[in-house]
Amino acid sequence: MEPPRKYLPLFVAEATEQLEELSRELVRLEAEPPGGPLWDSIFRRAHSVKGSAATLALAGIVRIAHAAETLVGRLKSRPVRPSRPEIDLLLEAADALLSRVRAAARSQRLDEPGDAALVERLTEAARAIEPPPAAPVAFAADADSGLPRLKIAIELSPRCAAPSARALIVQRRLRSLGSLLDMQPAPQQLQAGQGLVRLTATIATKATVDEVRASIRGVPEVDAVYIETPALEKPASFPPVLPEADRALTVRVRADSLDQLLDGAGEMLLGIARLRDSARKLPETFSAAFEGEIDRLRRQARELHGRVMTARLTPFSALTERLPRAVRDLGHQLGKQVDIEIQGTDVELDRAAIETLSDPLVHIVRNAVDHGIESPETRAAAGKPARGRVLLAARRERDSVVVEIEDDGRGLDAPGLRERAVRAGALTAEAAAALDDSRSYELALLPGISTKSEATDVSGRGVGMDAVQRAVEGLGGAIRLHSSPGRGTRVTLKLPLLVSVAQLLLVQVGGEVFGLPLYKVLLTTEYDLSARGGEGFESRSLVVGGQLVRAYSLAKLFGLPSLAPPGPRPFLVMELDGVRFALSVDRLLGQEEAVMKPLFPPLDRIQGLAAVTVLGNGRPLLVLDPRGLYQMAGAPEGKIKGAA
Amino acid sequence: MQMATAEEKSPTPEAALQKRVLIVDDALFMRNTLRDIFASAGFSIAGEADDGVQAVNLFRELKPDLVTMDIVMPYKSGIDATREIVQLDPAAVVIMCSALGQESLVMEAIEAGATDFIVKPFRGEDVLAVVKKVLGH
Repeated sequence: MEPPRKYLPLFVAEATEQLEELSRELVRLEAEPPGGPLWDSIFRRAHSVKGSAATLALAGIVRIAHAAETLVGRLKSRPVRPSRPEIDLLLEAADALLSRVRAAARSQRLDEPGDAALVERLTEAARAIEPPPAAPVAFAADADSGLPRLKIAIELSPRCAAPSARALIVQRRLRSLGSLLDMQPAPQQLQAGQGLVRLTATIATKATVDEVRASIRGVPEVDAVYIETPALEKPASFPPVLPEADRALTVRVRADSLDQLLDGAGEMLLGIARLRDSARKLPETFSAAFEGEIDRLRRQARELHGRVMTARLTPFSALTERLPRAVRDLGHQLGKQVDIEIQGTDVELDRAAIETLSDPLVHIVRNAVDHGIESPETRAAAGKPARGRVLLAARRERDSVVVEIEDDGRGLDAPGLRERAVRAGALTAEAAAALDDSRSYELALLPGISTKSEATDVSGRGVGMDAVQRAVEGLGGAIRLHSSPGRGTRVTLKLPLLVSVAQLLLVQVGGEVFGLPLYKVLLTTEYDLSARGGEGFESRSLVVGGQLVRAYSLAKLFGLPSLAPPGPRPFLVMELDGVRFALSVDRLLGQEEAVMKPLFPPLDRIQGLAAVTVLGNGRPLLVLDPRGLYQMAGAPEGKIKGAA
Repeated sequence: MQMATAEEKSPTPEAALQKRVLIVDDALFMRNTLRDIFASAGFSIAGEADDGVQAVNLFRELKPDLVTMDIVMPYKSGIDATREIVQLDPAAVVIMCSALGQESLVMEAIEAGATDFIVKPFRGEDVLAVVKKVLGH
C-alpha cells in the first residue's frame, strides 16, 4: 500500500512536538519518583510516534521508537529511578528520532534503515532490566499463554465527554472476551478534553478477530477498532493520531503565513497613510469628507493589524523548552548540580521577540550555570545547598512582558568588572573608581567585558552580553543587571508586548530624514549653541531641567552636512542607563506610526541604525538606535559623568 | 461485513416498542427531557423515580428493560441504587446520567455494575445511540 504521504507534514509536525516534549519529560524524570505519571506520558509519546511512523512506512523511525518504547516500558515498571546513562541513552534516541523525522520532512527517500548501533544499545539496556516480577493486579498473568494474543487499538469518539469512564467500560468489555494482558493508558490516566483518545490493549482470547471487533464496536463512543493479528509480523498499520478535539478550537498556521498577513496589514496601513497625504492636497471642500473616510479606514486597518499581531503572540514556553535540557547537559559537563525552574510559561510574547530572544536567553542561562553557580563543594563550604538553582520567570506588566533570569550563585564581581572595563578602554580609572558596585554590574553589558579572566568554552562562544543587550534593545526593550556577592545575579529583560509597531519622531538632518522611537525621547528642546562657540562643535553641553546634558550633532555622527542656518536648533534629549544626552538635528518633521522591519544586509552592519520602515509617502525611512548613536559618540558612562 | 450491517440498520420504532424504560432522576426537568427522548423513539415509559430508594423498589416491581439513573439523588445515591439493582438482576441494563466533571462518580458506578453512561448536557440522539448499543441494536 502506498503510504499516505499527503499526511507527511502533519506527521512531521506532530512527531516533532511529541519528541521535543518527550525529551523535556526525560529531563524532568530525574526529579520524579519512580513509576510516576511522567513515565506513562513518555511511553505514550514514543508509542504514538512509532504508530504514525509505521503508517508512513518509516521503518527506521519505527525501529528506534520501538526499541526506545521497550526500554521505557521496562524502566517504567522498575521500582528504582533511572540511572543517568539510561536517561542519556533515551535522550540520544529522542534526538536520533527527531533528526530522522526532520530528514523525512526534507527528503523523498522515506525509508532509511534505523541506526542499528543505537537500536542495539536500547535493546541491550532493556534486556538488562528484569521484567517486573508480576503483572499488575489489574491484568491477567501469563497463564493464558496458550491462547492466541490479539493486539488491539481502540479510538474513542472525540466527543466522548468522560474518557476515563468510557475506557473503563472498554476494559470491562475486553475482560469479557478473554484475558486482558495489558491496556494503555489506564482509564484513570485519561482526562476529558485532550483530543482523540486511543487505547491499546493485548488480550489472550479464543474469540475470532471478527467477534472481538464486533464486541468492542458494540461499546458506545468507540469510533474505530484496529486489531493486529499474531500471524502478521509487520507493525500494525494504525492511522496517524489526529487531535480531533483540538482541531475544532485551533488550527495550525504556518508562521510565515502569519508574517505575510502582518506584512499585508502593515502595507495597508502605509497605503492609507499615503492616501491621507494625498488627501491633504485636495481643496478643503473635498478634503474634509475624504479625510473622515480615510480615518475610518485607518482605524479598521489598525484594528486588523492589531489582531494579526495578537495572533502572532507565542507563549514564553516556546523560548524555554530547550533550556532544562541545556542546563542539565551543561551542569553535567561542568560537574555542577543545577535545577532550573521556569515560571510563566503561558505568558505570551510577540513572535518577533521569541525569535530574537532565543539565543540571548540561552546565553544568559548558560552564563548563570557556567559563571554564576558554584561547584557543589564551594557551595557547601559557603553554607549553601549543593544544588544550584536557576529561576526563569516571565510575567505580563501592562503592555510589556518582564523576563527575569535569576541564579543563586556567586554573584558578579564588581571590582573585577571595573578593572576589565578600564583595561578595555571603556572607562577611565577615575570614572571607574567613582562607580559604585550597583552601577558596575551594568559594565558586564559592554562589549568585550567578561567577569572571568578567561572565558570557558561553554558560555564563551557565540553571543556576548553586549549582543544580548543589542537584541533586547532592538526589540524596544531594556536589560538590567542586579547582583549581590555570594547570593546570586538577576538579569531583568523588559520587553514591549507588541514589538513591530512604533510611534516614530521624524527628524531631518542634512537633507536626510530619520525616525527615532518616540518612547526613547524624553523631550525636545531648542538651543542656540552657536552663540556659545560657533558651528562644528564635537560635543557641547546644554542645560535641561537644571541639569547639564552632553549634546552631540547627529549630522556629525553620520558624516552628513548640517543644512540648518546658524542659530537655535532642535535637540532631542534621551536617556540611557540613567544618563541623559542630547542630539541636535536640523528640523523636527513630526510623528508617524510605523511598522518596523528588521534591517537587512548591508544596512544591518551600520552602527546607529535599528530598523527600517516605509513612510506614508512611500519613501523608506531608517530608524535610529539611540544606544548605537551613544556609542558612536564615544561616550561611555564614565565620561558622560565627567562632562557634568 | 457483519459490523457494517449492524451499523446501517436504523432502529425502527417497532423494534423499540417492546422496550420499557425506568427513568430515575430527582429533577423533573430531566425526567421530562428523558421521557420525551424515549417516547419519540418508540420506547414505553415503565415508570419514573425521583430517588434511589424508589428506584430500587420500582425496578423490583416493574422489571424494566432499561434504567436511566441519575447519580446524585436524595436518600440513596444512584450508585448505591445501581449496586442493589444489579444484585437483584445481574443482567439489568442501567445507564448512568452524569454531569460533566462527575467522571470519578461514573467510574464508581461502573464498578458497581452500571452498564453504561451518558453525560449531561446531552442531545436526544446521543442518548439513543448509547441505548441502542447497549441493548444490542
